[in-house]
Amino acid sequence: MHTSRRAVLTAAAAALTLSLTACSVDEGAGTSDPAGKRQITFLTFETPNLTPEYWNAAIKRIEKKYPDITVKKLVAPTTDRTAYAKQLLASGQFPDVMIAVAPTGLGDAGNLYAWQPDELGDFQVPDGGAIDGKVYQLPANTQSIPVVYYRKSMFKQAGISAPPRTYAQLLDASAKLRAKGIQPFVVGGGKDGFPTVLPLTGTVATDVYGKDPDWMVQRRAGKVKFTDADFVGALTKVRQLARRGYIDKKMVSLDYAATEQAFLKGKGAMYPMGCWFAAAGDKSAIKDDIGVFHWPTDDGSPLASGYTGGGLSVNARSQHLDAAKKFALAFQLDKSNLDNSVRSDALFPAVKGYTPPADTGPVFKETYDLWREASEQKATVKAFAWETGGDALLPGLDAKVHAAAQDVIIGRRTPEEAAAFLDTEWDKAS
Amino acid sequence: MATDAPARPAAPPKAPEQTAARGRGRRSRSHLGRFAVFGAPGLMVYACFVLAPVVVSVAYSLTNHNPFSPPTEFVGLRNFELLFRDEEFLQSLKVTVQLTAILVIVPNAAGLGIALLLDRKGWFYNAWRAVFFVPVVLSSVVVSLVWTRLLADDGVVNQALGRVGADPVGWLSDPGLALYSLAAIMAWQMLGFCVVVYLAGLQSVPGELLEAAAIDGAGVLARFRHVTWPLLAPALTINTVVLLITAFKAYDHIQVITNGGPGSGTTATVAFVILQTGFTANRQGYASAMALVMLVIVASAAALALKLLQRREVDL
Repeated sequence: MHTSRRAVLTAAAAALTLSLTACSVDEGAGTSDPAGKRQITFLTFETPNLTPEYWNAAIKRIEKKYPDITVKKLVAPTTDRTAYAKQLLASGQFPDVMIAVAPTGLGDAGNLYAWQPDELGDFQVPDGGAIDGKVYQLPANTQSIPVVYYRKSMFKQAGISAPPRTYAQLLDASAKLRAKGIQPFVVGGGKDGFPTVLPLTGTVATDVYGKDPDWMVQRRAGKVKFTDADFVGALTKVRQLARRGYIDKKMVSLDYAATEQAFLKGKGAMYPMGCWFAAAGDKSAIKDDIGVFHWPTDDGSPLASGYTGGGLSVNARSQHLDAAKKFALAFQLDKSNLDNSVRSDALFPAVKGYTPPADTGPVFKETYDLWREASEQKATVKAFAWETGGDALLPGLDAKVHAAAQDVIIGRRTPEEAAAFLDTEWDKAS
Repeated sequence: MATDAPARPAAPPKAPEQTAARGRGRRSRSHLGRFAVFGAPGLMVYACFVLAPVVVSVAYSLTNHNPFSPPTEFVGLRNFELLFRDEEFLQSLKVTVQLTAILVIVPNAAGLGIALLLDRKGWFYNAWRAVFFVPVVLSSVVVSLVWTRLLADDGVVNQALGRVGADPVGWLSDPGLALYSLAAIMAWQMLGFCVVVYLAGLQSVPGELLEAAAIDGAGVLARFRHVTWPLLAPALTINTVVLLITAFKAYDHIQVITNGGPGSGTTATVAFVILQTGFTANRQGYASAMALVMLVIVASAAALALKLLQRREVDL
């Protein structure tokens, strides 16, 4: 009887211990080994540009610099690393360091470390992506989103002598391409969603942010709505491109990698994408056939949209906060890493005194020069649905914007209906 | 001296019933102890990983919990009120019901047909059984990636159509077609499971019953209808309930193949919307309310299906 009671108690204690262990929340997944080496976890994501080899080499470089730190690489299952970071947070496995994770929601809730001004001294835009004055993501690079890559040979075949500068010229060029049997635009989406939104990011830049650069701040304050005429106008332009067949609605099922391949294989003449495409363009056999232009404005004045941010963030509750910060800053400022980010992902490092390597390809150089000229003319605005700071979309709204853009392209909603849908989703999220 | 002491009255002899009752009590305590020893760890794990999350979900569903926007406040039944006016949730319910209907009927019917064809002996039939079962053991993500490529605008399927002069079809980009493409992929993956379950059922049909029916003059169809089909009732129950639950939980295929699109929610199931709401929009209180509604629907549908199908088994 005693034996039985003891056994019951032992079993109950073991089960309770097991359950408590399983239910406990881990604050920062890092560990230390007896030799004093600190292991931190680092959330990355993979794309055709950012391969496993790219990440492994970049991590190894910093591990070599700091032998007391070892890094366990995590890879997000899709390009939506922000959603994955949130899942990890909810399950008590929030990584110590993460890259290009949108800090909105995560940072202001105290999950991310707020970088101090003295730690941001090497960055060109130290307050890039700030939320209520606090920077949770290193403002490491600038990305121009979108620019329109085009095939020079296809333009020539259609009798187009120069890339369009006005929206009317864009329509005219598209008509000429179509008349020659060439699909004007390659616009995908699929499981990645974001490739669909790039034409809309372009039209919002020219028709909305060009008139009011603080439009998203006004939206957050409830002073403007998606159903306002300018925003509906931006959606209408996208609808117009799809209705005329310039954007092929069948292509929206292509994911990001397949969309890029479609353009490189000549399935269309124009490819609205972020500047990171330049890396893939330069690696391709057709690099000399690729040109680039800004999404055209109505009056032909140059206007570029983009954002500065996209760097590493650190878990505020990391067990090895110092190691995580040290790794993040070193990763972000290491010259070899920066050069490789230019070569592999065509990023524009926003680090003081940095100049891109001289051996970059023609597509990168043209894209970089285009952004630099626009910056010098102060003709830049934020990239709609790509902002990450306090003037970004509300958490979760980017997926709704991708869906709304797809609805407009496939004709499932009118521009007015899509705008109303976004206002409804905004109200639900706020 | 002891002999001088008054003798203690002898204890009355124990009644046989009393002894038996004590014995039963000891045995029952001993059984309880053994049950506790062997059952407690499992029960604790079940309580921690199944019951506790349900209880936590119920609690969250009554709040506006958003881990990134504290404080969490009690909102009563407001989440449930909003849910039934939420266009996105209602659309996801519609999608889930459509997907479930296809997924319960198609693999069940096709699986039965294939099982009847393969219910023979020999290496040829064994090889075909393996062929049909392979998709079941593959990861849903792998299956989804393969089919995404096959059904792409310039994929193998459209190329084959092009060779016979047909126009390419927007299998995954046409909002009117994407859900059916998705259902077909899931049905294809679950087909092998149904085939195996029906084959097991067919092999348990006594040969003498079929022979007796044949001697009585029953043809192939009559033998199937009056002998085989009734005896396949347990297999039908298993397949139907498993397919029902699989369809209601559908998430991974959708995430990989369509991401809920094309457009807003054309292929988004309730499970997909719950995850999007909880982990992308961070509205975990609201997502918990959705999860509870889904739990009630799945449990009711599974219980109803079990009741109806098992009644058929009993009536044999």
